Amino acid sequence: MAEVVNVRLLKAGDKLKISHGATVVVVSNPLDGVWIFARYLTSPEEPSLEGTEDMIFAQDIIEVLEISGN
Amino acid sequence: MATKTKGRFVDELVDLKAGQISREIFVNEEIYAEEQEQVFTRAWLFIGHESQVPKPGDYFVSCMGEESVILCRGRDGALHVFLNSCRHRGMKVCRYDEGNTPVFTCPYHGWSYATDGKLVGVPFFKDAYHEKLDKSKWGLVEVAQMEVYKGSIWATWDPAAPPFTEYLGDFKMFFDLSLEAWNGTDEPLEVIGGVQKWLIPCNWKFPAENFSGDSYHNISHRSVDMVGIGPSGTGRRDTQERADSRRLQVSFPDRGHQTGIYVLPGGSPTAASYQQSPEVADYFREAEEKRRAIKGEWGRVTGSPGEIFPNTALHPRQPRSIAVWHPRGTHQTEVWRWYFVDAGAPYAVKDFLRQYYIRYSGPGGLTEQDDMENWNYAHSASRGTIARRHPYSYEQGMGSEQTNFELDGLKIPGTVMDLTEAKSSEQNLRNFYKRWAEFMDAPNWNELAGWR
Repeated sequence: MAEVVNVRLLKAGDKLKISHGATVVVVSNPLDGVWIFARYLTSPEEPSLEGTEDMIFAQDIIEVLEISGN
Repeated sequence: MATKTKGRFVDELVDLKAGQISREIFVNEEIYAEEQEQVFTRAWLFIGHESQVPKPGDYFVSCMGEESVILCRGRDGALHVFLNSCRHRGMKVCRYDEGNTPVFTCPYHGWSYATDGKLVGVPFFKDAYHEKLDKSKWGLVEVAQMEVYKGSIWATWDPAAPPFTEYLGDFKMFFDLSLEAWNGTDEPLEVIGGVQKWLIPCNWKFPAENFSGDSYHNISHRSVDMVGIGPSGTGRRDTQERADSRRLQVSFPDRGHQTGIYVLPGGSPTAASYQQSPEVADYFREAEEKRRAIKGEWGRVTGSPGEIFPNTALHPRQPRSIAVWHPRGTHQTEVWRWYFVDAGAPYAVKDFLRQYYIRYSGPGGLTEQDDMENWNYAHSASRGTIARRHPYSYEQGMGSEQTNFELDGLKIPGTVMDLTEAKSSEQNLRNFYKRWAEFMDAPNWNELAGWR
């Protein structure tokens, strides 16, 4: 099982694997420990989401794929 | 036109024909519960000041009666006032006093609301709710009406309440004495030093009555006058302009608002003030000269403590502050006090005022401590079985009030008591309780807006 991701540490540009096999890039972090704003990079189950922005719930984040250089 | 209301409170527990008010209205827990519904869900209540939320996403957590509310400036710049309670299970969605945020997220289950109150985040929306929850129906509960008046922010839960300026009526010109810059213009004020908050063991109506115009309790402040905390080094404030003026009480029977004022004789200059600091004295002298020039004859009027019904107290002159008496149960009040300075004043002026304000008001202020001691023990000594059988006396000055009052060509609206002649009067207190009793008995705003 993947480690619990501390969403408060996520920054714009970080790439994440989330539920339903999708990947997103962080757009901004409200630092509430519950949500992040992100843009879909891939969404195999629902391709229409790719490129759209959404709020991602912390428990839907599976793992951090890439930490941005910022 | 007088309101039609008559019931358990008008003429009974609040018997203003006899000038007597039952102690039950201060200590009875059923009456307290009733007034949360009758008064605090229907009246306009002070929320905060625009200077507290200047940028999109800024918020200030305030109160309406017992209930926590969020004053928030949305991303589009519009102001909102929301009940601070998640629609899912009621948890507070904001537990800070103030700040800036893109969303208010409930820490219990994670429902998240945008700064316009819309529900934007629902955990497992797809998997658990199958995207069937109608988010548009589950936004934060917003007040029925919200208005900004000269930087002050007001709200009511009652959609039938009249607009705020109608609620104020002619009291508006007296409220302006608290909201205009010292030079009488609409240049902005700002809240200085944060909001002081503290608890007093008394019913909220004790301080509300006091600030309505208790002109009889000056003896309580004799010690602070002897200490000399005033901005010229004597008394608790500058007294010469008051000594030069006619001292009046003004009340508005159909609205429940009331205040004290001082009116200089025609052609009289305003006395010098703030003599402990030449820079501050110069600032106020110049501001006062401009105010007198702009306001004409009305510039002869200066403010004194007052009360906007039900629980907002005004202290317009020295020090300049607004207080709200939040009910916290029958036997406890939480005071929130805002202090104001001209936003454009030099730092030296703001800092001088800050220090004077906290010497005078708040939990550490010498003048406010005198008042709190009185309210505390008056309340506790009124709770007993025997004590409750004996009403308070509000007979002072009954029948001496005047209308169409005029002083050297300046007409004063409302019902006026001349305290230069009478020394003291309880007219303003009776006015406050008259309106309180009407709110307690009236079923709706059709009866409360008797002036229509």
